[in-house]
Amino acid sequence: MEDITRRLAAIVIADIVGYSRLMSADERGTHQRVQRLLRELIEPTIAEHRGRLVKQHGDGFLSMFDSPVEAVRCAIVIQQSMVSRNLELPNEQAIRFRIGVNLGDVIVEADDIYGEGVNVAARLEQLAEPGYIYISGGIYEQVRYKLVCGFQSLGDRRVKNISDPVPTYRVLPDPTSVNNATTGRKKLWYGLAAAGVTSFGIAFATGSFWHPGWLSSAITAVAPPPSVAPKPLAVTDKPVSPPDKPVPPPDGDRPAAADHVLEAAVIPVRPQIEPPPVASPPVKPVAPPTVAAAITEPDMVPIPGGHFLMGSNGDLSEQPIHGVTVRPFLLAKYPITVRQWQDCTRAKACVYLPKGDDDAPVTNVSWDDAHQFITWLSQATHRPYRLPTEAEWEYAARGGTETRYWWGNTMKPGFAVCKGCGNAMTPTKVGIGPPNPFGLYDMSGGVAEWVEDCWVKDYRGAPTDGSARRSATCEEHVLRGGSWNNDQDDIRSASRDYYNASVRYPTHGIRVARSP
Amino acid sequence: MVTRRMMLASPLILSTSAFGKTKAPENAYLYIIWPTDGSHIKGAFWCRFGLRGMGVTHAGDTTANTGHHHLLIDVDEPLEPNVPIPSDKKHLHFGAGQTEARIDLPPGPHTLQLVLGDADHIPFDPPVVSKKLHIIVS
Repeated sequence: MEDITRRLAAIVIADIVGYSRLMSADERGTHQRVQRLLRELIEPTIAEHRGRLVKQHGDGFLSMFDSPVEAVRCAIVIQQSMVSRNLELPNEQAIRFRIGVNLGDVIVEADDIYGEGVNVAARLEQLAEPGYIYISGGIYEQVRYKLVCGFQSLGDRRVKNISDPVPTYRVLPDPTSVNNATTGRKKLWYGLAAAGVTSFGIAFATGSFWHPGWLSSAITAVAPPPSVAPKPLAVTDKPVSPPDKPVPPPDGDRPAAADHVLEAAVIPVRPQIEPPPVASPPVKPVAPPTVAAAITEPDMVPIPGGHFLMGSNGDLSEQPIHGVTVRPFLLAKYPITVRQWQDCTRAKACVYLPKGDDDAPVTNVSWDDAHQFITWLSQATHRPYRLPTEAEWEYAARGGTETRYWWGNTMKPGFAVCKGCGNAMTPTKVGIGPPNPFGLYDMSGGVAEWVEDCWVKDYRGAPTDGSARRSATCEEHVLRGGSWNNDQDDIRSASRDYYNASVRYPTHGIRVARSP
Repeated sequence: MVTRRMMLASPLILSTSAFGKTKAPENAYLYIIWPTDGSHIKGAFWCRFGLRGMGVTHAGDTTANTGHHHLLIDVDEPLEPNVPIPSDKKHLHFGAGQTEARIDLPPGPHTLQLVLGDADHIPFDPPVVSKKLHIIVS
């Protein structure tokens, strides 16, 4: 009787770029080098990451891992090591891998694995540029908060013989390492390892791990912003990271995938010169038109689901206090900045032209403007961004507390920006006070933040499932958190304000959310 | 006061009013149609806004001689001429061009005053402000 073993696995498939060319140039030498690679690098690295080398063939290998994190780490180590190895070789002998990683259900046999999960990994591998790793959405979801590196969304890619499009991501070194590339050669992948991915089993040789494919694009990179900045699809396992900026994608000579990149998530590299003041036409990006860059996607904090008491006795509008259950969701660590909004304006998807410093929270936006922004952001990233619901907002702002502010019942110097906090001022950056227990900044004061809900004067009849309160005739929507121009009482976790959806006001900004 | 002016004279404010106020005609007259001064009112009421010599429009519209209403409830602080009218529970904005509003106040004495704001919610020059009414809600 047939005994089929099925299991979920992270599948890593790699193949050597231009293998037949290498073979025709030097059959014996190439074979020996590949065998040596397998023996010295591939097999031990897979073993180190508790994977299994399922099979190897002339021009590549197939492996499987229990852990998606280990699978991606293994792939990164292999690519990093190849960069250093190739530096010692003449160009015509250089061996470069493309790697695809997918999470899927597979049929396991003694010496092979089968199934759509394997096929998707193979397709991703074929999409990847030489020297790069492409991962599927399933892998991305598992590794995004666990690896210190960047992930560039390439949108949903159709792959041959697979019915549904596959959300695809390109693995990038830590974005901060790209910053430094402006000064010359850069140990890019090495920088990634040094940044904190500690379980790499490879001892790096000294010398530059510069990947030629990275440099030319990295040169167009601008200096990092002075303070907290939006992160380009980058994730880290450290709560506070050095300044980031958009990660330029690899440069021009890419396979046909380039077209898809452009029509997918990414937009041109951030211009070196910031756009002139309002009302000028958008600045032309410095990057060549074929080069796509990562959107400065908001840094999202996962908020665990839970139950909380919404409202307070502080004002009639906050009553009755009622229990609300909120499902897990993601909320941006900071309000949306001028820089992030400018990406939308530049894409001609947002009418509003923001003013102020790049790193300042965007202000003077209406609820309608906010919806233009999230619509654009969702389309550009293929992720369903939205405004938080009012319940989600308060739940996140409280961070498990029941006090007036998340830090207690009285104002503390430096914890918030407001009129009457002793520091009323237009915020020039985000991330001013300390983060709340969920790791969110500026929830109290700063800019008042639009939420999805329609304004109703109190909580009678309010939903208790964390959803937004809606109404067919809704002209006013809710703002939460209060602003720099509000009193202390208006920036409490429970404080509510509202405004006409189509009207802009200078203290209003936004913070985006999305479901997991 | 100085701090606040510095703060709000920032680039946030639209260019039309960053360095000067929007002119209002001398004959502009803002008033509260209802309630009348000294009214005793039970519960919530409709407050109706009157304007002569200018037009009501939505916020953001820079058409000359037009503005939108702001209702100040129990506000004692003097009006700051060069900054956006605050937005909070005591400063209600009617940026969609509304000319009336349902007002629900706790029992007791209250004051009501209208201020016309320009496209950027900044008072006109000269300020177009209604007389301050005193009412008692029971």
